Amino acid sequence: MPQLNSIVTDPLSDNNPITVQMLGICSALAVTAQLNTALTMSVAVTAVLVCSNTIISLLRNVIPGKIRMIVQMVVIASLVIIVDQVLKAYAFEVSKSMSVFVGLIITNCIVMGRAEAFAMGNPPKDAALDGLGNGLGYSAVLLIVAFIRELLGAGSVFGLNVLPESYPGNGLMVIAPGAFVIIGLLIWLQRTITKKYEEA
Amino acid sequence: MQKDDVNTIKFAAIICLVCSMALAGVQGTLRNKQETNKRIDVQVNILKALNPSFDPEGNELSDEDRENYFLNGNVPREWIPLYFENFVETQEVTLADGSESKLYELKREEALVSVAFPAEGKGLWSTVHSYVGLESDLATIRGITFFDHGETPGLGGECSKPWFQRNFQGKKLWDNGAPVKLEIAKGTADPVTDYNVDGMSGATITGNGIEKFVNATFNLYNESLFDERRTGEES
Repeated sequence: MPQLNSIVTDPLSDNNPITVQMLGICSALAVTAQLNTALTMSVAVTAVLVCSNTIISLLRNVIPGKIRMIVQMVVIASLVIIVDQVLKAYAFEVSKSMSVFVGLIITNCIVMGRAEAFAMGNPPKDAALDGLGNGLGYSAVLLIVAFIRELLGAGSVFGLNVLPESYPGNGLMVIAPGAFVIIGLLIWLQRTITKKYEEA
Repeated sequence: MQKDDVNTIKFAAIICLVCSMALAGVQGTLRNKQETNKRIDVQVNILKALNPSFDPEGNELSDEDRENYFLNGNVPREWIPLYFENFVETQEVTLADGSESKLYELKREEALVSVAFPAEGKGLWSTVHSYVGLESDLATIRGITFFDHGETPGLGGECSKPWFQRNFQGKKLWDNGAPVKLEIAKGTADPVTDYNVDGMSGATITGNGIEKFVNATFNLYNESLFDERRTGEES
């Protein structure tokens, strides 16, 4: 029985979904050119993760094994569509700037991965906390990457210019390869600190 | 084995039913709000293209306010219906290729201030919607807006940002009695002319798409309406 605290805190660093589990890299590249979109994405993914983990965990004893994955997919897809609809109704501006990437939360491996790896075998309360922890871990990496990319790429933070007008902007940071480099460096940094390495 | 299969199908049916009912419920509850958002968004974009220099009471706006309202798109909500009731005239027009479209005219005391027409075309991933606003000379861009698209945020998605749209203001689509092709540069426009604007780095294909449909739609409107109007004014 894992400690409730560690369920939430583990994914923040030691078992981070992006830098350790290597999940959700796709959206981490796509929405991190700016902090605003990264923040909305973080909130949306965390909300979906908590809900999907809870629902899957509640259903874990009645889901027939054969269609397990499909049921998870249906639940996740429904939740993502709800999030997308809510954003369109109450955060129209942000939802416009996120365009397709809200819908693509459906294919975010973290959501499916946590449903399959954790929620299917643990009670709802633990599953919800696991979803929260992983959501926050994902958010932390997204916000760090977005902060660096927006600062170096456009000279701004949350859309406010912080570097002098003369700063030319680093084109590499604006496009996806910039995110690869930063995520790579983050993974390096983190593994150096936590001393956890993959066996070669 | 048989019983298992029946249970599986039952479970699948129930899950599908519950999920679709939940989605239908959410969609039904939020539809009005979403449609209102969409309608206001379109009106804001038309106003951004028309780019009024005065408020709905007829007072001149400072450059700063004007930029904030009609470039950044922060036009006060309560002004939107006032503009459309009192200053914007919507015309249904038939274009040279037979399609139906619209033309918006901003008038102040019967005098034409600016016109705007809708334009749309493919970017990289999606259809980019746009309104192009011209000065009363029907040649110089007064305001332009790109919205409702699915381009990559931070790359092609920058087309809906003020910095990109600002570049278009004052550029010419028509000069010396003939249409000119407006170009979106790859990177920074150099040298800057009346006929080119800075491009979006990392989004050449979106830029090319925009360049193509803005020019093409202008030419279509030109052929269908503007040519006639220009000669009408001269004679």
